[in-house]
Amino acid sequence: MRAARVFLGAVAALALGALGCGRQAPQTVDAAKLKMFAPLPDVVPAKAGAPAEAQVTLGRMLYYEPRLSKGQDVSCNTCHNLTRYGVDGEPTSEGFKKQHGNRNSPTVYNAAAHFVQFWDGRAPDVEAQAKGPVMNPVEMAMPSEKAVAAVLKSMPEYVAAFQRAFPGEKDPVTLENAAKAIGAFERGLLTPARWDKFLKGDETALTPEEKAGFNTFVAAGCQACHAGTLLGGNLYQKIGTVKPYPDTSDEGRFQVTKSDADKMTFKVPSLRNVEKTGPYFHNGKIPTLDAAIVQMAEYQLGKQLSDAEVRSIGAFLKTLTGDIPAEYIKPPELPKSTAKTPKPDLAD
Amino acid sequence: MLRKTVKAVVIALMVIAGAIQFIQPHRTNPPADPRASFEAVAKPAPAAAAVVHRACMDCHSHETNWPWYSKIAPVSWLVAKDVQDGRARLNLSEWNRYGPEMSGLRAGEMCEEARKGEMPLWQYTLFHPDARLSAGDISALCATAP
Repeated sequence: MRAARVFLGAVAALALGALGCGRQAPQTVDAAKLKMFAPLPDVVPAKAGAPAEAQVTLGRMLYYEPRLSKGQDVSCNTCHNLTRYGVDGEPTSEGFKKQHGNRNSPTVYNAAAHFVQFWDGRAPDVEAQAKGPVMNPVEMAMPSEKAVAAVLKSMPEYVAAFQRAFPGEKDPVTLENAAKAIGAFERGLLTPARWDKFLKGDETALTPEEKAGFNTFVAAGCQACHAGTLLGGNLYQKIGTVKPYPDTSDEGRFQVTKSDADKMTFKVPSLRNVEKTGPYFHNGKIPTLDAAIVQMAEYQLGKQLSDAEVRSIGAFLKTLTGDIPAEYIKPPELPKSTAKTPKPDLAD
Repeated sequence: MLRKTVKAVVIALMVIAGAIQFIQPHRTNPPADPRASFEAVAKPAPAAAAVVHRACMDCHSHETNWPWYSKIAPVSWLVAKDVQDGRARLNLSEWNRYGPEMSGLRAGEMCEEARKGEMPLWQYTLFHPDARLSAGDISALCATAP
């Protein structure tokens, strides 16, 4: 009799245990691993401090200004479309006379917080970066800084806006100041996401699957390069650390430093909004996020991820998709051209 | 009958052990620029630098000291895999690739993993008893974290 009671008790305990196992256990995240990450700030201050409002206002106008290009048909927003998470969705972007560069246009959102700019880090900050495409012959193709100033000086509204943004300067309408203003505007292009809420302590901001995805991300070793505030954007890394990357047509930072150690080295891109910023990699040749996850694991970590692991990491990465600041990016009305404004020039 | 079977198994194992020696993993030390190292860039205190040299650099740098058993399969495969993983996750020979934020995070992670006993790996300290970290070693390492 006693033996029968013990037997029945054991069966009941096993049945209860099985029921317990059937229920989904709350997914936890190792708090120590979270120390490698940080939420986005409200604004990315320049060395000199928070940008002046008049510079931000001018920068917003210039960001949308196609007359800063030789053909007057390409603005910053053409390749870094603010309503499309700061990208154009193309492997490489179309510039002056439909020419293409050889690198994917990275998103401009959160770019101000990167430790350097461009895929190869050749500009230290967004202000220095903003000058590059304006003068690049395959992008906006302006022939000289003087030509940029001539376009802007032809419109009195711009002259007044430069004077407000750079008070006290004798000749404020310059490419240098235009780039400073664009940079000031870009410093506010931030996209806080559910991930930030989670980092700030809101446990419910991520689903159990997304938390499990974070654990998969860390276990695979992705955070070796994708950590910090932006999950990237704070280091260089060689593409093909473990397995040589087959496309060696672009040697990355080597083109800047000429140091062999920098061959095939690129700035590690941020993973914020990565769901929305494909196609991927410096060459824009990877069409989907899943393919990008698979290739990164293979070439950077020497791992073959299972489909379930890829799905899990993808679920986490989607929590990095932030809110586009609709009001901040609202296109302003641009000054009308005057008789003095140069006409579009499509000659080589 | 049993003796014959044991003999056959032993011979088969010896053949397999011999054959797998031909499968050698990738085991190299790529060129390392001393100016790019953790020591040169992060400028840790000498005590921390000594800990890193003693306990971390075999797996986390291009200055791996490959022991004799790292040339014998199948141990060679395991050691090569650990070094590959180690270099991919943290490379003390390429610290100049880190920006200020990442440099701080990596130093913090080194401290955290040492403190929790996750690093160095137990299989490494088994053969490298001098890599076992004392409380003083961990304090020295953690002093480099921001």
